[in-house]
Formats: sequence, structure tokens, C-alpha cells
Amino acid sequence: MSEPVIHVSKHQAMATQFQVRIADEEKSYAAQAAQAAFALTDKLESHLSRFRANSDISQVAQLVPGEKLRLSEPVFACLEIAKKMETATRGAFSVTAAALKTQAALPQWSLFSKEFSIRCDGGKLDFDLGAIGKGFALDRMAEVLQEWDCPAFLLVAGGSSILAGDAPAGTTGWSCGLGDDHSPHRYWLKNCSLSGSGLVVKGQHIFDPRTGTVAQRKNRAWALADSAAESDALSTACMVLDEVEIAGVVGESHDWLVFLEELGTCRCLGCRASPPRA
Amino acid sequence: MVNQPFTRREFISTTAAAGAGLLLASCSPDSSQKAAGPKNPALNKINIALVGCGAQGQVLLDSLLVIEGIRLAAIVDIWDYNRTSNVRRLKSQGVEVNGYENFEDLLAHEKDLQAVIVATPDFWHAPITNACLKAGLDVYCEKMMSNTIEGARSMVQTMRETGRLLQIGHQRRSNPRYMFALNRLVRDAKLCGRLTAANGQWNRAVSEDLGWPKKFTMSPEELAKYGYKDMHQFRNWRWFKGLGGGPLSDLGAHQIDIFNWWFGVMPSSVMASGGVDYYKNHEWYDNAMVIYEYPLPTGMARAFYEVLTTTSAGGGYFEMFMGDEGTIKMSENPLITKLYREERAPAWDDLVAKNYLRASAVAAPTGDADKVDVRETAPLLQYEIPVTFNKKIHQPHLENFFNAIRGKARLNCPADEAFSSEYVIHKANEAIAVRKTIAITPEEIEA
Repeated sequence: MSEPVIHVSKHQAMATQFQVRIADEEKSYAAQAAQAAFALTDKLESHLSRFRANSDISQVAQLVPGEKLRLSEPVFACLEIAKKMETATRGAFSVTAAALKTQAALPQWSLFSKEFSIRCDGGKLDFDLGAIGKGFALDRMAEVLQEWDCPAFLLVAGGSSILAGDAPAGTTGWSCGLGDDHSPHRYWLKNCSLSGSGLVVKGQHIFDPRTGTVAQRKNRAWALADSAAESDALSTACMVLDEVEIAGVVGESHDWLVFLEELGTCRCLGCRASPPRA
Repeated sequence: MVNQPFTRREFISTTAAAGAGLLLASCSPDSSQKAAGPKNPALNKINIALVGCGAQGQVLLDSLLVIEGIRLAAIVDIWDYNRTSNVRRLKSQGVEVNGYENFEDLLAHEKDLQAVIVATPDFWHAPITNACLKAGLDVYCEKMMSNTIEGARSMVQTMRETGRLLQIGHQRRSNPRYMFALNRLVRDAKLCGRLTAANGQWNRAVSEDLGWPKKFTMSPEELAKYGYKDMHQFRNWRWFKGLGGGPLSDLGAHQIDIFNWWFGVMPSSVMASGGVDYYKNHEWYDNAMVIYEYPLPTGMARAFYEVLTTTSAGGGYFEMFMGDEGTIKMSENPLITKLYREERAPAWDDLVAKNYLRASAVAAPTGDADKVDVRETAPLLQYEIPVTFNKKIHQPHLENFFNAIRGKARLNCPADEAFSSEYVIHKANEAIAVRKTIAITPEEIEA
């Protein structure tokens, strides 16, 4: 059986490189679909980036306690997921973790779905969506590709998050490794997301929102989930959770699976069935 | 006492920046605009419709949804994909709107509208704007005003005949950073000295032509009804003569308008070069380079403008005004905005003291004339515009339009003023075509 033809498009956004890989589609149509997905990524960045003075996130940082701001739909949706993940990880994931570098306590905030607004309840809302925004972008890009009837796709954000759609025709899925290019730990992925966190590339950059201290885990962690926003947040949380805590978090959801790097091997934690080995 | 460098108009839409914090704290910011939902009873609710829900319509929609005192009653788009997806998306956000295929249906069914926002392809601007003005509505129309000079002129005439408001979407004219830089730095402080030149650019990397999801392909009959040859032309209308004006009007229009606004006079000539050398299926020039001559009261100044769609190199998009004492490099992106002082210029300390400028914290030691200390290399003093603008880029210009409807403001870019820029941009495309310098007289620029 011949190898599936896969069309690869690349684009820089959110300070990293995004890739769209589309299978089972004509080349120029795949490129145009990828371009539509990238256009959405650029738009999302303009809303989500704390480095853009006009972004929603920059405006949120100006709120004083008691003040509200109407958010654009994607920002509201992303923060809703962030709230949910903060609760699900028992506070080990927070989009305001870095605020502890300048504030004594985590800032407090509430979302109001009826009016798509956020209210500052305390502190300064210094959001950093770095650990969830790219995953959220992948989820939204996937919606675009579904609209374009390109269901067999693999989306990549900076090498740390991927979102797989349907498998290319005639295959078991998209072959994805945990870690390096030649990782022995490879899986066939389809219709799920895999994100990784670690300290090798960016050094110590993850804060424990519960204590304000840096992440304790030295080895890498990967999280598998249905959505990339969730897998992104979960893998980040795994860097500050100990194994007992991780087992408790993933034990409450059948959607999640975590891989922890351990002396050259990777150990699975969670109820979700592991994808087939590639 | 700290001087107050901001007019109220400039201050609206800004937020406190370090160094100007005390000053700004004394001016109550327009905090009502931050509040979620319409809570200011002093604002009369304005019923509006958005005509054109493509890429630019989406950008305007993002701003419209956060502006207080606005009720978006309807959206219009000839493409079912844009129309239905936006109606659905808006409903999910609690915004109930009616969707219409065309502006005739809109005007026939929506009887309580006060204003319309037009963000369709350029060649539809004049017919839609003229019809809406004649229907008694105020109109905010995206630039370019029209794909033809005649179309743009007709819009000004209709505006005058009907007495309605017609704002053109050159949004930088309401950007508080641009207003502050022009009014305080260029005009009051004469920071540039004698202006001798300007330079603007907007370069973009090569990109695929826009496509469309196959299942949302419009029928040939639908496309022909609205003036398109096929779906590719519909999606890429900016590249086709008779529909748009190419990159010079798509991107250059914003920046050439800044040349005119900041110089305060119209150019007396234009020469230009460009061509369809890269993209084989386009009608408009992929790259263009333009030189205008501006007869300023202080002497002639020349402005070079470049728009390239085959490279993203060149350092982003900006308009730079250069004089014999200093230069201001303006951009909607504050990270690109820079100020340069010529050594011959008077010191800028007074401007810093007046809060016209913000200086970087570390200053290079100046030392006495008769002795020199040797120490570590000191960085050059850097200066910034002390205005932070953190609303959405188009929001202040739309707010200005709505405030004008309420009788609380004058339009920052009325159509008769915008026509001048419109005219000289069309002339740049013409100069490329005829490969000659074209003289421009003040009379012909009058709408």
C-alpha cells in the first residue's frame, strides 16, 4: 500500500511555529485550508497575547478589583477552560501563576457567561496564557479544517502540543513520539491531543501556583486529552504535581492519560486507554 | 505643576503609562467604556447594522461588541457561509441579530436603524453608502471609499445632499497615540524641526490566494448577480481591477492618508513604479513604490511609500516623518514606534518634563566639557511617546462615529476630508500605469 500524501504548511505565531499537516486532499486546497487556519491563529494571538497592548489580555491586566470587562468570544472561551482546568488540577494549573513573582497571592477573577465578561475580584490580573493558549489555538484551527472538510489532519504548535484529527486513509493514525525525534516511545494518534512539558528547552519557567515556587519535577511529562487546551494545561500541571497527586487528578477523568519520563522509560497514569504503539 | 499635554480627545482611549501616571490619574479615564454591558444611561442606544462580514467586517465586529450603547440589529453578507456563521456565533454570545443577503433587503426590513457600518469589497462601497445615506442613515464606511474616484466623489455629494454623517475608516485618525504625536510633538513641540521627508511601508510575505470551503461555493448566478466572475475572484477581490485597488489601496491607503494628515497639505505630484511580476493570476500590482512631493510652507518635502507583497522583510509597517532635528517613526504597533533626535536639535529635557516624551530610566552621562571619566559603556538615552493605547485598534474610530451621531463629537475622518487621500492614492496607481510623473492640483482634489 502506498504512503499517504501529506501536505505540510508552516506559520509563525504566538512566538513559535505552527504546522498544519493535511492528508487525503488536493495540494492547493490543503494549502488554502491551512492558510485559513493560520489566519485564525493570528487573530487569536491578537486577542490572547499579553505582549500586544490592544489585546483583551492586556486590557484585563488594567482592571482594578470590582471592575468588569467584556471579552471577545475566544478569550472568554479560553479562560473558561482555564478555570475548569484550575479546578480539575486542584490548583496546580493557573493562568496567573507567574503573577506570584510580583504579587503575594494569586489574583482572583470571575467569569460571567451571560455577558461574556470578566471581573477582577482581587489583585492584578496578569494572565499568561502560554501554557494553554497554543493548545486552544489548535482546537480552534481544527474547527476550521473540519469546516473545510479536511478531517485527516495533524496540527503542531511549537513541538510541544499536537492535535490529531482523523487518521490518513489506510493508516492507524499519526505517528507521534514522546520527546525527541528518535524517541522509542511512539504512538498512533487520532482524534486526540498530546502535549509535553519539561525544562530542557526553556529551562526553569514553570511556577507552582499553589506555592509560588518553581516546578519540582525534573523529567518531562506528557498529557493526552481530547482537546489541546486541556492537554496543554494538564501537562503543565504535571510539572508541579507529585505522582500521587497526578494519579488523583487523572483518576477523576476518563479523558486523560499522563506519561511521566523515568530513567529512559515512560510510565502511564490514568484511566484512558493508551493509544496503540507505533 | 505638571503641564497637561493631552487634550481630552487624545486622552480618551488611553490608559496610564508609567511616568505619566500622576498626570493621567488626574484625568478620569473613559472607564465607562471598560464596563461590561450598557450601563451608562446618558448614552442613547444606537441601532446599527454591519454590511459585509468578511475579514474586515470581523475586525470591526470585535470592536462593536465591546462599545457601550450600541445595538447590533442586523448583519448583511451575500455569502451564506459568512452570514449564517456570524448570526449563529453572535447568538451564542447573547447578541440576537437578523441576517440579510443584501443591503436592499436590510433597508426594506429594518426600520429602526440609525447607522450602518460598511465593510464590503470596495466596489460596493459607493452604491451601499449612497443608498443608506439616502435612507436617512449615518454611515461608517471602510476605506477605500470606492474603487473609482467618481464613486468616492458621489459619496461626498450624497453626504452633503442628505446632511447625514459619513465617516471613512482611516482608524489611525482616532488613535490617541497618533493624535498625541501629531498635535503635541510635531505641531506644538516641533520635535522634527523642519520636515523634509517621510517614509512609509507595509510589506507582507508571499501567501496563497484565499480559498473557500468547497461546500460553501456560491453558484455562478449568485456570483454574477453581485459582480463577480467566479468564486476565486470573489474571495480575492482586492487583486482585481473593477473590484478593488490592489495593495496600494488595501494597505497603502492607511499610510498615505497619514502623510496627508500629518503634513497638513496635499501632494503636488506623484511618481510611482510597480507591476504584476510575481503573481500570475492577479490584475493589480504585487509591489509598488511611490514618491509624492509635498509643498510645505517651510519648503518641499518628499514622501516615499513602499508596499510589497512578496516579502515580509523591512521591519513591519510604519510611517516615518523626518526633519532636520528629529524623526518620529509611527506605527499602530507601539513596539515599532521610535523617536530619533538629531545631535543639532535642542535637548528634549523640557519635553520630558512636560510629559510630551518619556525617557528611558538610564541616561548616558554627559560630563563636563573639561574633564572625562572613563567607565562602562553607557547606553544612549531612549525616548518614547507617553501614551499607552490598549483598546482594540478600530474601537476609538467607531466610538468617534457614534459620539458624532449623538452630537457629542465631530467626525475625525469625514468623507470630504478622506476624499483627498482617496484621490492621491488612485493617482499613484495611475502613475504606475502611465509610467509618468503626474501633477496634482489643489482644485482637482476638492470633492
